[in-house]
Amino acid sequence: MLDRYGVVALFAFMAVLFPAIPLVFSWIIRPKKPNKSKTTTYECGLEFEDFPEEAQQVWVQFRVQYFLYAIIFVVFDIEAVFLYPWAVAYNALGLYALVEMVLFLGILILALAYAWRKGLLEWA
Amino acid sequence: MPDATTLYLILPEITLAVFGMVILAVDLIWRERSRAALAWLTVLGFVIALATALLGWGWNMALFAQMYVVDTFAIFFKLLAAIAGILVTLVSLDYLRDRTPYRGEFLALFTFAVLAMMMMASSASLLMIYLSIEFLSYMSYLLTGFLREDKKSNEAAIKYFLYGAITSALMLYGLSLLYGISGSLNFADITATFAARNDVPTRIVALVSTALVIAGLGFKISLVPFHQWAPDTYEGAPTPVTAFLSVGPKAVGFAVLLRVLLTALPAFKNEWIALLTVISVLTMTLGNLVALRQKNVKRLLAYSSIAQAGYILIGLVSVNLNGASPFSGLNGVLIYLFAYLFTNLGAFTCVIAIENATGAVEIDDYKGLVKRAPFIAALFVIFFLSLAGIPPTAGFIGKFFVFGAALREGFLVLAAIGVINSVISVFYYFSVVRAAFFEAGKDTAPIRLAPPITFSLVVSAALVLVMAVYPEPFFNLAAWSMGMFGVAK
Repeated sequence: MLDRYGVVALFAFMAVLFPAIPLVFSWIIRPKKPNKSKTTTYECGLEFEDFPEEAQQVWVQFRVQYFLYAIIFVVFDIEAVFLYPWAVAYNALGLYALVEMVLFLGILILALAYAWRKGLLEWA
Repeated sequence: MPDATTLYLILPEITLAVFGMVILAVDLIWRERSRAALAWLTVLGFVIALATALLGWGWNMALFAQMYVVDTFAIFFKLLAAIAGILVTLVSLDYLRDRTPYRGEFLALFTFAVLAMMMMASSASLLMIYLSIEFLSYMSYLLTGFLREDKKSNEAAIKYFLYGAITSALMLYGLSLLYGISGSLNFADITATFAARNDVPTRIVALVSTALVIAGLGFKISLVPFHQWAPDTYEGAPTPVTAFLSVGPKAVGFAVLLRVLLTALPAFKNEWIALLTVISVLTMTLGNLVALRQKNVKRLLAYSSIAQAGYILIGLVSVNLNGASPFSGLNGVLIYLFAYLFTNLGAFTCVIAIENATGAVEIDDYKGLVKRAPFIAALFVIFFLSLAGIPPTAGFIGKFFVFGAALREGFLVLAAIGVINSVISVFYYFSVVRAAFFEAGKDTAPIRLAPPITFSLVVSAALVLVMAVYPEPFFNLAAWSMGMFGVAK
């Protein structure tokens, strides 16, 4: 009975060990040159200390392009959600699924073409 | 894989989906050069959808795992949707040209809105009902707020959206209760569940969910107390969209309400009749009394359309499908909706014609209209006679069958309240007519009519008069459309 807990203990030990090894190893071999930018919280690549004082508050205004990008991202996300199962079961589904997917992709590509033509993919 | 019959029966939906995307693509590729052609492409789409909807006439088939039905009842509402689409597209041409550069998007969204109406008419499962109502709602919100520079249009869209979001959450909760108690999304299974189980807890849950479903659909139909969005939204929305909202979503809202109540919840007929009777009286009375005080024609027509929903509800309350009486209640609802479609679209087309020429929508601005535009003034009288239910117009035929059904069922008080309300409504309809005919206006420049608007006005007015003089074909149309409920023909 007790030896079964041994398996759990071994599993827990390995689970702690595996992430610890690369952390410790990289701490030993890496160069240590900290600066202000590296010590701040990571925020999607924006360097906060470059901002004026008032903009370093939490209430940062994001550009509206982020919102548009998020919507266009959804187009591709949905596309991927359907493409993977279709690709996996391609042989079983046959011609009918192929026609369905072409229609589906056509509709999504129209959405992308619309965004492109309306200039949503340009950052300026 | 769907077989050829399925594809054949959903041809109208396929047509509109394809046309919506083609309109968007054509607008993207040719931009400015395609503007005039786009509207005609949209009309062509609706005409093809109308023709293909007729191809399914006489079929009675459940498709896609019983979620979607094509029967004469659904086809009746698909015809309404396509006709509304054609007329609204025609009257929106000039209106949009002066107000927005995004006409391609408008027409595409509008095509999708009509597609959503067709899907609502055919929905026969709780899930499909919810999805199609949401589809129509999103399109309606976008169309309402389409004039981005116009603050009133934005306000209208926000109010519409907030009300819509809350009532659709209520309805979804009601649908989830129905699903929870029956374990099925299918109407037939729900009816079977209620036929088999009649204990008190089941009844309580069923009644709560019935009330919640009526709340959700009452928002679409603008029944009191779910009507508050209507006046502001109707006033702020682009006027062609207002015309569409006042007939389209309302008609298919009734279609879904009829289908749910008559095929899924017939076991609770007495309860929903009691509830709807109260709502009907409130809706008629409040709509008419508040309309008396309106100065803006769009708001006046908004309250008028709330009151009209109350009259139509009398037909639903008085449904009795047994026996061969010509007053089954249900046919009253269908005839009324058909008459109301042309009458209300016609009245709004007059408003749009005047707004295009002068930008004015106040009753005071209509003074002296008979000198400036005698044709519009005369048609206004026809449409208002029809809205008030005075012969010889289509509105009279609709009210005749609706009130007749109430009398047949013995709802004398309800019928009397309906008649009294009709008399009250004459007062405010004719305050507009009085301003147009008997008061002198400052401006005397004649108002020019664009050909598409003239065409749509003549068609609406002709049908309003023909329905009154020769109602038999329309009566037969309504009788055929009821076939799915197991009544005559």
